[in-house]
Amino acid sequence: MIKTVMQSLGPWGPVFFGIGFLAPLLSTLMINFNVSPPLGLSTIQAGLIIGFIVGLQAKLRGRWL
Amino acid sequence: MNVNATPPQAFANMSDKELAREEMIIARKYLNRFSWFMVFWWITNLTCWLSLWPLTMTGILPLWAAFPIATLNVILCYLPSHDAQHSNYAKNGSLRWFNELIGYTSTIPLVLPFKIARITHMEHHTHTNDPELDPDYGVKADNWWQAIITGIKKRQPGQPNSYGETLQRLGDDPVVRRAGIEGLAQSLAFWLIITVLAWSGYALEAALIWWLPRYIGSIYISLMLSWAPHFPNPERGRYRNTRHFESSLGNVLVMGMEHHIVHHLHPGIPLTWNAAAYREMKPVLDARGCRSESFHG
Repeated sequence: MIKTVMQSLGPWGPVFFGIGFLAPLLSTLMINFNVSPPLGLSTIQAGLIIGFIVGLQAKLRGRWL
Repeated sequence: MNVNATPPQAFANMSDKELAREEMIIARKYLNRFSWFMVFWWITNLTCWLSLWPLTMTGILPLWAAFPIATLNVILCYLPSHDAQHSNYAKNGSLRWFNELIGYTSTIPLVLPFKIARITHMEHHTHTNDPELDPDYGVKADNWWQAIITGIKKRQPGQPNSYGETLQRLGDDPVVRRAGIEGLAQSLAFWLIITVLAWSGYALEAALIWWLPRYIGSIYISLMLSWAPHFPNPERGRYRNTRHFESSLGNVLVMGMEHHIVHHLHPGIPLTWNAAAYREMKPVLDARGCRSESFHG
């Protein structure tokens, strides 16, 4: 049961990481460096979009950079 | 026979049996000693890393100062656990719990589950440099900087996890199964904690005290503890699969790994006495054809 769940969710780890950790981290960095996101987005909205995209590309390409 | 009083050339003429006896005479001096130094190392390092959290969250310590300290803590956290993996604090008896306590808690900064570490490390000892069965063989590289690149590549999404593969190979043993569950729980706890911290306004603290130091530290540990002592990894056999090396960084910065061959020959000697045992054992090891090289080979 646990194994099945982990095998299903494991490959999505980079996306979870992007949303769960990178998003608030990017938001904090934007606030600290006085960066205003475009299109009237809040810092956390921008962080979530970037975090999701970065996580998804890492999942699809198999590498972060 | 007193090894120190024996001229070095005499060892070259000894039989395997005589060399083995000389080696054991030296090893017994250091085997099964209790290392207070390693206990001090464990408690100091763990306390230091844990204290970084309140110190940075309350603004007493700036994050730019906490980051290198945390990275050092992660690098240093493995070796007290390593002695615990070999039960060097207590093989059994009333202090057994203390051995396990050090093993479980020392590597919290590294997020290396103790039971997985122990099982895979024993496999490493049993199958050192075996491309199929040594869980640490994946660090193989032609030089130190390629070893770092290999370490980065191994940590990319979807890359094979040699420790997971080792657990699968070992099958449905209850100890292995429990190690897997404990490892999963500890890994999930790590990701949950740093996620909660990040969403609670402590994203930079989580990144610079745990996430990034763990990444850097695990690569440094792989380089110094897996690559350097076994480079270039082609040889098998008790006296050739691990080498003595001299590093321009000094033995402290390579975390005592210059004398790692003593550990592979006698894992029951705590890290604290590997250097002393090596110096005494050197004529025997030379007669055995052991490798003594520079860091680069």
